[in-house]
Amino acid sequence: MLLESLHLRHFRNYTSLDLDTDAPINVFVGENAQGKTNLLEAVDILALTKSHRTHRTAECIQWGRDFATVAGRVRRRQGTVSLSVTLTAAGKQAAAGGIERTRISDYLGHLNVVLFAPEDLQLVKGSPQLRRRFLDMEIGQISPVYLRDLQQYLRALAQRNRTLKAARTERRIRWEEMLDIWDDQLAEFGSRVMIRRARFIRTLERHAQVIHCQISGGRETLRLGYRSLPASWTPENVRDMYLGELKVRRSGDLQRGSTSLGPHRDDLQILLDERDAAAFASQGQQRTAALSVKLAEIELIREEVGEYPVLLLDDVLSELDEARQVHLVSAMGAKVQTFLTATHLQSLTSLRSDLRVFAIEAGRVHGKTT
Amino acid sequence: MISFPEPISQLIDGFMKLPGIGPKTAQRLAFHVLHMSEEDVQHLSRALLAVKKDLRYCRVCCNITDVDPCMICRDELRDHRLICVVQDPRDVAAMERTREFHGLYHVLHGAISPIGGIGPEDIRIKELLDRMRDTLPKELIVATNPTVEGEATAMFLTRLVKPLGVRVTRIARGLPMGGDLEYADELTLTQALEGRREI
Repeated sequence: MLLESLHLRHFRNYTSLDLDTDAPINVFVGENAQGKTNLLEAVDILALTKSHRTHRTAECIQWGRDFATVAGRVRRRQGTVSLSVTLTAAGKQAAAGGIERTRISDYLGHLNVVLFAPEDLQLVKGSPQLRRRFLDMEIGQISPVYLRDLQQYLRALAQRNRTLKAARTERRIRWEEMLDIWDDQLAEFGSRVMIRRARFIRTLERHAQVIHCQISGGRETLRLGYRSLPASWTPENVRDMYLGELKVRRSGDLQRGSTSLGPHRDDLQILLDERDAAAFASQGQQRTAALSVKLAEIELIREEVGEYPVLLLDDVLSELDEARQVHLVSAMGAKVQTFLTATHLQSLTSLRSDLRVFAIEAGRVHGKTT
Repeated sequence: MISFPEPISQLIDGFMKLPGIGPKTAQRLAFHVLHMSEEDVQHLSRALLAVKKDLRYCRVCCNITDVDPCMICRDELRDHRLICVVQDPRDVAAMERTREFHGLYHVLHGAISPIGGIGPEDIRIKELLDRMRDTLPKELIVATNPTVEGEATAMFLTRLVKPLGVRVTRIARGLPMGGDLEYADELTLTQALEGRREI
């Protein structure tokens, strides 16, 4: 899919802006704090109706104004559709094809984006919680059932944990029986979460390996690890396995007063040449691995949606060496429309035919032909 | 806030204790009562008191009733060896509307939820076991809600009752009749798919 144009009103430091963005690669160049990232944020909001940078939409409205609007025209295989998202202090309205969509789920999906921002580089090095959130967000985007299963799992987990804590102070009740019933619920929904994650990670790994090989010039192999669930296992097998593990851990869990095992503790392992990238890889290698995993999402969305999403790269180039920059942008730009921010163009000038450059200076944009 | 004469502000306070009623609605209701006929108000106040005074729990099934045992448990035409376990008196009313179930009920008045501070001893499980002591039912249908807590409660009951040699069944989950497939939520649809059967 292609975002052909982008229109902003009272959005952050842009009073009024209309851009033709139908090039394969659109580059926003400028010094720091001129408003480059604001433009990527606008595209992100147009796709998801919310910002990756803030939960408070009021921050996106230009100082002294009541509303901000982001609009754009998206070309897809089935045709072209106009999208707009208006933010006010009271909330937001989203319209597709000129019709307001009161349910956000009716709006989402018209424009798919994958955003890569500097904080995503933490995916390898950061805490397991960060990787679990990545998994939950990404799987949730393509499988609503996953989110429901996860909710039920977390509910059962809270009940089990409360039971474990109560067991330490109150002796009169038969705790074993109480724990049995929550173990059952935990295994029922936890096994579904595990199976969906394992499946997602297998597909993600398949795509990430190819991409990583390209970016690293074939020097390293990337592997993604999760619970090893044999492909031949049925959901019942997984549930019984998890139930068995819970029973083994029970006395320990009773002492801790919380559940030590399950999807809420599972981690996504990222391995480079069979070694844990978080512990053994250099910073540059970790960044490349994180980038490969994020870019693999693009292929995943294409599998699910049937079309490539739009890629947003925020200040990522400065984190890569020049050869990798060119490789990344040319490899992506050939099939995926890409929007990126950079402080200078040097390494990209070899791609000039595909490139549309916008020079950003204090909320004003000057079109530039390289 | 504007203060009203004592009787009306008392009434407003009273209404505000009801679920789903905020200050605005409470005010509207109170002023409506002010304009009702005395006869209607008498009837309302008697009905309110009667709920507290005349209602009790059936000694057999624990449903709310004005006669003990309740009309359902007294009914000789019903199958007394078939018990349907539900969470709430309103579930009994829902089942009765079907006119298809001719056994007896047992009302638990809740589901096990450690977070909510509700243990097995806080709902009417003991009463269920007591009534089964004299004559074992031939089937216990567990119709607790399809929530995490309802399922856990169903599991708890099953483990208690099954060893006694009673057939325990769980009501099915799936699609509502007369509804379009496209309007079903994802979880219901998934469960309906999992619970499919050969025809």
